[in-house]
Amino acid sequence: MRIVIDVLIIISLFFAFAGTVGLLRMPDFFCRMHSSTNIATLGILGVVIAGILYALIYLGDGSMAVKLGIIGLFNILANPIASHALANGAYKHAKKPIETVEADQYGEDLVEKNE
Amino acid sequence: MIFQEFLFFAVCFIVLAVILLARLLAGPTIADRALAADCIEIVSDMALILFALYSGRGIFLDIALITAVMGFIGTTLIGRYLGGRL
Amino acid sequence: MKKANASSVISTFIVTFIFWMLITGQLSAVFRGQPSVEVLIAGVIVCLLTSLFSAKFFIHEKAFWLLNPARLGSFLLYCCVIFPIELIKANVDVAIKALSPKLNIHPGIVKVPSELKSEYGQAMLANSITLTPGTITLDLAEDLEEEAAATNTAAATTVKETAAAGSGVTPAAGTDGLSKAASGRLYYYIHWLDMKTTDHAEAGEQIKGTMEKHIRRIWE
Repeated sequence: MRIVIDVLIIISLFFAFAGTVGLLRMPDFFCRMHSSTNIATLGILGVVIAGILYALIYLGDGSMAVKLGIIGLFNILANPIASHALANGAYKHAKKPIETVEADQYGEDLVEKNE
Repeated sequence: MIFQEFLFFAVCFIVLAVILLARLLAGPTIADRALAADCIEIVSDMALILFALYSGRGIFLDIALITAVMGFIGTTLIGRYLGGRL
Repeated sequence: MKKANASSVISTFIVTFIFWMLITGQLSAVFRGQPSVEVLIAGVIVCLLTSLFSAKFFIHEKAFWLLNPARLGSFLLYCCVIFPIELIKANVDVAIKALSPKLNIHPGIVKVPSELKSEYGQAMLANSITLTPGTITLDLAEDLEEEAAATNTAAATTVKETAAAGSGVTPAAGTDGLSKAASGRLYYYIHWLDMKTTDHAEAGEQIKGTMEKHIRRIWE
Protein backbone atom coordinates (compact mmCIF):
# COMPACT_ATOMS: atom_id res chain seq x y z
CA MET A 1 0.00 0.00 0.00
CA ARG A 2 2.91 2.31 0.71
CA ILE A 3 4.11 1.81 -2.86
CA VAL A 4 0.72 2.85 -4.26
CA ILE A 5 0.70 6.07 -2.23
CA ASP A 6 4.25 6.90 -3.28
CA VAL A 7 3.48 6.24 -6.95
CA LEU A 8 0.43 8.53 -6.81
CA ILE A 9 2.51 11.34 -5.31
CA ILE A 10 5.26 10.82 -7.89
CA ILE A 11 2.70 11.04 -10.73
CA SER A 12 1.40 14.27 -9.25
CA LEU A 13 4.95 15.60 -8.91
CA PHE A 14 5.64 14.75 -12.56
CA PHE A 15 2.58 16.64 -13.77
CA ALA A 16 3.39 19.62 -11.54
CA PHE A 17 6.91 19.62 -12.99
CA ALA A 18 5.57 19.46 -16.56
CA GLY A 19 3.20 22.33 -15.81
CA THR A 20 6.01 24.42 -14.35
CA VAL A 21 8.26 23.83 -17.35
CA GLY A 22 5.39 24.63 -19.70
CA LEU A 23 4.57 27.79 -17.78
CA LEU A 24 8.15 28.96 -18.21
CA ARG A 25 8.57 27.91 -21.85
CA MET A 26 5.31 28.68 -23.64
CA PRO A 27 5.39 31.76 -25.89
CA ASP A 28 1.97 33.21 -25.14
CA PHE A 29 -0.38 33.88 -22.24
CA PHE A 30 -3.10 31.53 -23.45
CA CYS A 31 -0.64 28.69 -24.06
CA ARG A 32 0.68 29.17 -20.53
CA MET A 33 -2.86 28.83 -19.27
CA HIS A 34 -3.06 25.26 -20.64
CA SER A 35 -0.04 24.32 -18.56
CA SER A 36 -1.58 25.87 -15.47
CA THR A 37 -4.65 23.67 -15.98
CA ASN A 38 -2.22 20.75 -16.09
CA ILE A 39 -1.03 21.60 -12.57
CA ALA A 40 -4.51 22.20 -11.20
CA THR A 41 -6.14 18.95 -12.31
CA LEU A 42 -3.94 15.87 -12.12
CA GLY A 43 -1.38 17.59 -9.91
CA ILE A 44 -3.69 18.14 -7.01
CA LEU A 45 -5.87 15.07 -7.63
CA GLY A 46 -2.90 12.72 -7.18
CA VAL A 47 -1.97 14.25 -3.84
CA VAL A 48 -5.57 14.27 -2.64
CA ILE A 49 -6.23 10.62 -3.52
CA ALA A 50 -2.95 9.56 -1.91
CA GLY A 51 -3.83 11.56 1.19
CA ILE A 52 -7.27 9.99 1.46
CA LEU A 53 -5.74 6.51 1.24
CA TYR A 54 -3.09 7.36 3.85
CA ALA A 55 -5.58 8.97 6.24
CA LEU A 56 -8.01 6.06 6.02
CA ILE A 57 -5.51 3.21 6.25
CA TYR A 58 -2.62 4.38 8.41
CA LEU A 59 -4.07 7.21 10.51
CA GLY A 60 -7.64 5.93 10.79
CA ASP A 61 -8.88 9.51 10.83
CA GLY A 62 -12.15 10.01 8.98
CA SER A 63 -12.37 13.78 9.33
CA MET A 64 -9.03 14.30 7.59
CA ALA A 65 -10.23 12.20 4.66
CA VAL A 66 -13.45 14.23 4.41
CA LYS A 67 -11.52 17.51 4.50
CA LEU A 68 -9.17 16.27 1.78
CA GLY A 69 -12.18 15.29 -0.32
CA ILE A 70 -13.66 18.77 0.12
CA ILE A 71 -10.34 20.35 -0.96
CA GLY A 72 -10.16 18.22 -4.10
CA LEU A 73 -13.81 18.77 -5.01
CA PHE A 74 -13.51 22.51 -4.50
CA ASN A 75 -10.42 22.71 -6.69
CA ILE A 76 -12.10 20.73 -9.46
CA LEU A 77 -15.26 22.85 -9.31
CA ALA A 78 -13.61 26.25 -8.93
CA ASN A 79 -10.62 26.05 -11.24
CA PRO A 80 -12.50 26.25 -14.60
CA ILE A 81 -14.46 29.30 -13.42
CA ALA A 82 -11.35 31.22 -12.41
CA SER A 83 -9.54 30.10 -15.54
CA HIS A 84 -12.39 31.16 -17.83
CA ALA A 85 -12.70 34.56 -16.11
CA LEU A 86 -8.97 35.20 -16.35
CA ALA A 87 -8.77 34.15 -20.03
CA ASN A 88 -11.75 36.29 -21.00
CA GLY A 89 -10.40 39.30 -19.11
CA ALA A 90 -6.94 38.93 -20.62
CA TYR A 91 -8.41 38.74 -24.13
CA LYS A 92 -10.52 41.86 -23.61
CA HIS A 93 -7.61 43.69 -21.93
CA ALA A 94 -5.10 43.11 -24.74
CA LYS A 95 -5.90 45.86 -27.20
CA LYS A 96 -3.77 44.60 -30.09
CA PRO A 97 -4.44 41.21 -31.73
CA ILE A 98 -2.40 38.24 -30.58
CA GLU A 99 0.47 37.37 -32.93
CA THR A 100 1.08 33.74 -32.10
CA VAL A 101 -2.46 32.58 -32.84
CA GLU A 102 -2.92 30.96 -36.25
CA ALA A 103 -6.64 31.67 -36.55
CA ASP A 104 -8.78 34.01 -34.48
CA GLN A 105 -12.50 33.60 -35.12
CA TYR A 106 -13.44 35.30 -31.84
CA GLY A 107 -11.74 38.54 -32.83
CA GLU A 108 -13.40 38.49 -36.25
CA ASP A 109 -16.85 38.12 -34.71
CA LEU A 110 -16.16 40.87 -32.16
CA VAL A 111 -15.12 43.24 -34.95
CA GLU A 112 -18.25 42.31 -36.94
CA LYS A 113 -20.51 42.97 -33.97
CA ASN A 114 -19.00 46.37 -33.26
CA GLU A 115 -19.42 47.65 -36.82
CA MET B 1 4.18 4.44 11.24
CA ILE B 2 5.48 7.67 9.80
CA PHE B 3 6.21 8.16 6.13
CA GLN B 4 9.50 10.05 6.01
CA GLU B 5 9.28 10.60 2.25
CA PHE B 6 6.34 13.00 2.61
CA LEU B 7 8.78 15.67 3.77
CA PHE B 8 10.98 15.01 0.73
CA PHE B 9 8.04 15.39 -1.66
CA ALA B 10 6.88 18.54 0.13
CA VAL B 11 10.33 20.05 -0.33
CA CYS B 12 10.15 19.14 -4.05
CA PHE B 13 6.84 21.01 -4.40
CA ILE B 14 8.30 24.03 -2.58
CA VAL B 15 11.23 24.03 -5.04
CA LEU B 16 8.73 24.04 -7.93
CA ALA B 17 6.93 27.00 -6.34
CA VAL B 18 10.22 28.89 -6.04
CA ILE B 19 10.92 28.19 -9.72
CA LEU B 20 7.49 29.57 -10.58
CA LEU B 21 8.47 32.87 -8.93
CA ALA B 22 10.53 33.57 -12.07
CA ARG B 23 7.35 33.78 -14.14
CA LEU B 24 5.77 35.97 -11.47
CA LEU B 25 8.68 38.40 -11.65
CA ALA B 26 9.20 38.35 -15.43
CA GLY B 27 5.60 38.14 -16.68
CA PRO B 28 5.06 40.68 -19.45
CA THR B 29 1.40 41.37 -18.66
CA ILE B 30 -0.79 41.53 -15.58
CA ALA B 31 -2.61 38.34 -16.53
CA ASP B 32 0.68 36.42 -16.57
CA ARG B 33 1.42 37.49 -13.03
CA ALA B 34 -2.06 36.56 -11.85
CA LEU B 35 -1.75 33.14 -13.47
CA ALA B 36 1.66 32.54 -11.90
CA ALA B 37 0.33 33.57 -8.48
CA ASP B 38 -2.55 31.12 -8.86
CA CYS B 39 -0.15 28.31 -9.77
CA ILE B 40 2.12 29.11 -6.81
CA GLU B 41 -0.92 28.96 -4.55
CA ILE B 42 -1.94 25.52 -5.84
CA VAL B 43 1.58 24.07 -5.61
CA SER B 44 2.13 25.36 -2.07
CA ASP B 45 -1.31 23.99 -1.24
CA MET B 46 -0.11 20.52 -2.27
CA ALA B 47 3.00 20.92 -0.09
CA LEU B 48 0.77 21.93 2.83
CA ILE B 49 -1.39 18.82 2.37
CA LEU B 50 1.72 16.63 2.40
CA PHE B 51 3.00 18.30 5.57
CA ALA B 52 -0.38 17.80 7.24
CA LEU B 53 -0.24 14.11 6.37
CA TYR B 54 3.32 13.86 7.71
CA SER B 55 2.54 15.51 11.01
CA GLY B 56 -0.86 13.82 11.33
CA ARG B 57 -2.71 16.97 12.37
CA GLY B 58 -5.92 17.94 10.64
CA ILE B 59 -5.57 21.64 11.39
CA PHE B 60 -3.24 22.22 8.43
CA LEU B 61 -5.95 21.00 6.06
CA ASP B 62 -8.18 23.88 7.16
CA ILE B 63 -5.39 26.27 6.18
CA ALA B 64 -5.10 24.54 2.80
CA LEU B 65 -8.85 24.87 2.21
CA ILE B 66 -8.86 28.57 3.11
CA THR B 67 -5.86 29.15 0.83
CA ALA B 68 -7.66 27.48 -2.06
CA VAL B 69 -10.78 29.62 -1.54
CA MET B 70 -8.72 32.81 -1.34
CA GLY B 71 -6.78 31.97 -4.50
CA PHE B 72 -9.99 31.28 -6.44
CA ILE B 73 -11.58 34.55 -5.31
CA GLY B 74 -8.47 36.60 -6.11
CA THR B 75 -7.99 35.12 -9.59
CA THR B 76 -11.65 35.57 -10.49
CA LEU B 77 -11.61 39.18 -9.27
CA ILE B 78 -8.52 40.07 -11.30
CA GLY B 79 -10.02 38.44 -14.38
CA ARG B 80 -13.33 40.26 -14.05
CA TYR B 81 -11.51 43.55 -13.48
CA LEU B 82 -9.37 43.11 -16.58
CA GLY B 83 -12.48 42.31 -18.62
CA GLY B 84 -14.08 45.56 -17.52
CA ARG B 85 -17.12 43.95 -15.91
CA LEU B 86 -16.52 45.03 -12.32
CA MET C 1 -33.90 37.92 -11.50
CA LYS C 2 -36.41 35.17 -10.97
CA LYS C 3 -38.14 34.51 -7.69
CA ALA C 4 -37.09 31.53 -5.64
CA ASN C 5 -39.61 28.75 -5.21
CA ALA C 6 -39.87 26.22 -2.40
CA SER C 7 -37.94 23.36 -3.96
CA SER C 8 -34.87 25.50 -4.70
CA VAL C 9 -34.84 26.79 -1.11
CA ILE C 10 -35.13 23.25 0.25
CA SER C 11 -32.32 21.88 -1.92
CA THR C 12 -30.00 24.78 -1.08
CA PHE C 13 -30.80 24.26 2.61
CA ILE C 14 -29.89 20.57 2.40
CA VAL C 15 -26.53 21.27 0.76
CA THR C 16 -25.57 24.07 3.16
CA PHE C 17 -26.62 22.01 6.18
CA ILE C 18 -24.48 19.07 5.06
CA PHE C 19 -21.52 21.43 4.77
CA TRP C 20 -22.25 22.85 8.24
CA MET C 21 -22.27 19.36 9.75
CA LEU C 22 -19.03 18.46 7.96
CA ILE C 23 -17.10 21.54 8.97
CA THR C 24 -18.24 21.70 12.58
CA GLY C 25 -17.52 18.00 12.98
CA GLN C 26 -21.06 17.06 13.96
CA LEU C 27 -21.46 14.27 11.42
CA SER C 28 -19.14 11.88 13.24
CA ALA C 29 -20.76 12.93 16.54
CA VAL C 30 -24.16 11.93 15.19
CA PHE C 31 -22.75 8.57 14.16
CA ARG C 32 -21.30 8.10 17.64
CA GLY C 33 -24.67 8.97 19.13
CA GLN C 34 -23.82 12.12 21.06
CA PRO C 35 -24.58 15.18 18.94
CA SER C 36 -24.62 18.57 20.60
CA VAL C 37 -28.09 20.04 20.22
CA GLU C 38 -27.05 23.70 20.39
CA VAL C 39 -24.74 23.45 17.38
CA LEU C 40 -27.44 21.68 15.38
CA ILE C 41 -30.07 24.34 16.19
CA ALA C 42 -27.65 27.15 15.31
CA GLY C 43 -26.87 25.35 12.04
CA VAL C 44 -30.56 25.07 11.15
CA ILE C 45 -31.13 28.80 11.76
CA VAL C 46 -28.05 29.95 9.85
CA CYS C 47 -28.61 27.61 6.91
CA LEU C 48 -32.30 28.56 6.63
CA LEU C 49 -31.45 32.28 6.51
CA THR C 50 -28.66 31.72 3.99
CA SER C 51 -30.78 29.58 1.68
CA LEU C 52 -33.72 32.01 1.85
CA PHE C 53 -31.57 34.86 0.65
CA SER C 54 -29.33 33.08 -1.83
CA ALA C 55 -31.45 30.35 -3.40
CA LYS C 56 -32.48 32.52 -6.33
CA PHE C 57 -28.87 32.80 -7.48
CA PHE C 58 -28.24 29.06 -7.56
CA ILE C 59 -31.24 27.09 -8.72
CA HIS C 60 -33.07 28.18 -11.85
CA GLU C 61 -34.51 24.93 -13.10
CA LYS C 62 -36.05 21.89 -11.53
CA ALA C 63 -34.20 21.25 -8.28
CA PHE C 64 -34.63 17.54 -7.68
CA TRP C 65 -33.54 16.25 -11.09
CA LEU C 66 -30.98 13.89 -9.55
CA LEU C 67 -33.65 11.79 -7.86
CA ASN C 68 -34.40 10.06 -11.17
CA PRO C 69 -32.31 6.85 -11.06
CA ALA C 70 -31.51 6.84 -14.78
CA ARG C 71 -30.17 10.39 -14.59
CA LEU C 72 -28.23 9.56 -11.44
CA GLY C 73 -26.70 6.54 -13.15
CA SER C 74 -25.59 8.47 -16.21
CA PHE C 75 -24.29 11.29 -13.97
CA LEU C 76 -22.15 8.87 -11.99
CA LEU C 77 -21.00 7.18 -15.21
CA TYR C 78 -19.93 10.55 -16.61
CA CYS C 79 -18.17 11.69 -13.44
CA CYS C 80 -16.38 8.42 -12.70
CA VAL C 81 -15.59 6.87 -16.09
CA ILE C 82 -16.02 9.10 -19.13
CA PHE C 83 -14.57 12.37 -17.91
CA PRO C 84 -11.46 11.05 -16.07
CA ILE C 85 -10.41 9.14 -19.19
CA GLU C 86 -10.59 12.31 -21.29
CA LEU C 87 -8.79 14.21 -18.52
CA ILE C 88 -5.88 11.78 -18.29
CA LYS C 89 -5.47 11.58 -22.08
CA ALA C 90 -5.40 15.37 -22.44
CA ASN C 91 -3.06 15.77 -19.45
CA VAL C 92 -0.50 13.33 -20.84
CA ASP C 93 -0.74 14.99 -24.24
CA VAL C 94 -0.08 18.50 -22.92
CA ALA C 95 2.69 17.30 -20.58
CA ILE C 96 4.49 15.61 -23.48
CA LYS C 97 4.09 18.76 -25.58
CA ALA C 98 5.52 20.93 -22.81
CA LEU C 99 8.48 18.65 -22.09
CA SER C 100 9.48 17.87 -25.68
CA PRO C 101 12.58 19.81 -26.73
CA LYS C 102 10.97 21.22 -29.86
CA LEU C 103 7.78 23.03 -28.98
CA ASN C 104 5.32 21.90 -31.66
CA ILE C 105 2.15 23.80 -30.83
CA HIS C 106 -0.34 25.38 -33.21
CA PRO C 107 -2.56 27.65 -31.13
CA GLY C 108 -5.79 29.03 -32.49
CA ILE C 109 -9.24 30.25 -31.51
CA VAL C 110 -12.11 28.32 -33.09
CA LYS C 111 -15.89 28.67 -32.92
CA VAL C 112 -17.77 25.53 -31.97
CA PRO C 113 -21.55 25.02 -32.12
CA SER C 114 -23.41 23.27 -29.33
CA GLU C 115 -26.73 21.45 -29.27
CA LEU C 116 -27.45 21.58 -25.54
CA LYS C 117 -30.68 23.21 -24.38
CA SER C 118 -30.42 23.22 -20.59
CA GLU C 119 -28.47 25.95 -18.80
CA TYR C 120 -26.83 23.46 -16.48
CA GLY C 121 -25.82 21.32 -19.44
CA GLN C 122 -24.20 24.30 -21.14
CA ALA C 123 -22.31 25.24 -17.99
CA MET C 124 -21.23 21.64 -17.43
CA LEU C 125 -19.93 21.27 -21.00
CA ALA C 126 -18.07 24.60 -20.77
CA ASN C 127 -16.47 23.59 -17.49
CA SER C 128 -15.52 20.18 -18.84
CA ILE C 129 -13.89 21.79 -21.87
CA THR C 130 -11.96 24.24 -19.70
CA LEU C 131 -10.89 21.56 -17.25
CA THR C 132 -9.27 19.38 -19.91
CA PRO C 133 -5.82 20.84 -20.66
CA GLY C 134 -5.40 21.97 -24.24
CA THR C 135 -8.77 23.69 -24.61
CA ILE C 136 -10.09 26.80 -22.84
CA THR C 137 -13.52 28.32 -23.28
CA LEU C 138 -13.11 32.03 -23.92
CA ASP C 139 -16.71 33.10 -24.39
CA LEU C 140 -20.19 31.82 -25.03
CA ALA C 141 -22.52 33.54 -27.48
CA GLU C 142 -25.98 33.13 -28.91
CA ASP C 143 -26.42 33.24 -32.68
CA LEU C 144 -26.65 36.98 -33.18
CA GLU C 145 -25.64 37.52 -36.79
CA GLU C 146 -27.12 35.56 -39.68
CA GLU C 147 -24.12 36.14 -41.95
CA ALA C 148 -21.78 34.07 -39.84
CA ALA C 149 -24.24 31.21 -39.99
CA ALA C 150 -24.75 31.67 -43.73
CA THR C 151 -21.08 31.20 -44.46
CA ASN C 152 -21.27 27.78 -42.92
CA THR C 153 -24.72 26.74 -44.12
CA ALA C 154 -23.89 23.31 -45.44
CA ALA C 155 -22.32 22.02 -42.29
CA ALA C 156 -24.80 23.80 -40.04
CA THR C 157 -27.89 22.39 -41.74
CA THR C 158 -26.59 18.86 -41.70
CA VAL C 159 -25.74 19.16 -38.03
CA LYS C 160 -29.18 20.59 -37.30
CA GLU C 161 -30.95 17.77 -39.16
CA THR C 162 -29.00 15.06 -37.40
CA ALA C 163 -29.67 16.72 -34.08
CA ALA C 164 -33.39 16.89 -34.78
CA ALA C 165 -33.43 13.23 -35.76
CA GLY C 166 -31.29 12.19 -32.84
CA SER C 167 -33.16 13.92 -30.04
CA GLY C 168 -36.68 12.93 -30.89
CA VAL C 169 -37.99 13.79 -27.46
CA THR C 170 -37.17 17.46 -26.98
CA PRO C 171 -38.11 18.80 -23.54
CA ALA C 172 -41.63 20.07 -24.12
CA ALA C 173 -42.33 20.84 -20.48
CA GLY C 174 -39.36 23.13 -19.93
CA THR C 175 -39.55 26.28 -17.85
CA ASP C 176 -39.62 29.72 -19.44
CA GLY C 177 -35.88 30.16 -18.91
CA LEU C 178 -35.31 27.02 -20.93
CA SER C 179 -37.34 28.13 -23.93
CA LYS C 180 -35.60 31.50 -23.93
CA ALA C 181 -32.22 29.82 -24.05
CA ALA C 182 -33.35 27.50 -26.82
CA SER C 183 -34.34 30.30 -29.20
CA GLY C 184 -30.87 30.80 -30.70
CA ARG C 185 -28.03 28.48 -31.55
CA LEU C 186 -25.24 28.49 -29.03
CA TYR C 187 -21.55 28.92 -29.82
CA TYR C 188 -18.45 28.43 -27.74
CA TYR C 189 -15.26 30.30 -28.58
CA ILE C 190 -12.44 27.92 -27.67
CA HIS C 191 -8.71 28.52 -27.51
CA TRP C 192 -7.15 25.30 -28.78
CA LEU C 193 -3.49 24.48 -28.16
CA ASP C 194 -3.10 22.13 -31.12
CA MET C 195 -5.44 23.40 -33.81
CA LYS C 196 -6.04 20.85 -36.55
CA THR C 197 -8.91 22.42 -38.45
CA THR C 198 -10.84 25.69 -38.61
CA ASP C 199 -14.15 24.20 -39.74
CA HIS C 200 -16.79 24.67 -37.03
CA ALA C 201 -18.49 21.27 -37.03
CA GLU C 202 -15.28 19.28 -37.46
CA ALA C 203 -13.53 21.18 -34.66
CA GLY C 204 -16.53 20.47 -32.45
CA GLU C 205 -16.26 16.76 -33.24
CA GLN C 206 -12.60 16.74 -32.22
CA ILE C 207 -12.88 18.89 -29.10
CA LYS C 208 -16.09 17.68 -27.52
CA GLY C 209 -15.70 14.05 -28.46
CA THR C 210 -18.16 11.88 -26.60
CA MET C 211 -18.71 14.33 -23.75
CA GLU C 212 -21.64 16.21 -25.27
CA LYS C 213 -23.61 13.02 -25.92
CA HIS C 214 -23.38 11.93 -22.29
CA ILE C 215 -24.18 15.39 -20.92
CA ARG C 216 -27.29 15.52 -23.10
CA ARG C 217 -28.33 12.14 -21.71
CA ILE C 218 -28.06 13.57 -18.18
CA TRP C 219 -29.95 16.80 -18.63
CA GLU C 220 -32.76 15.92 -21.06
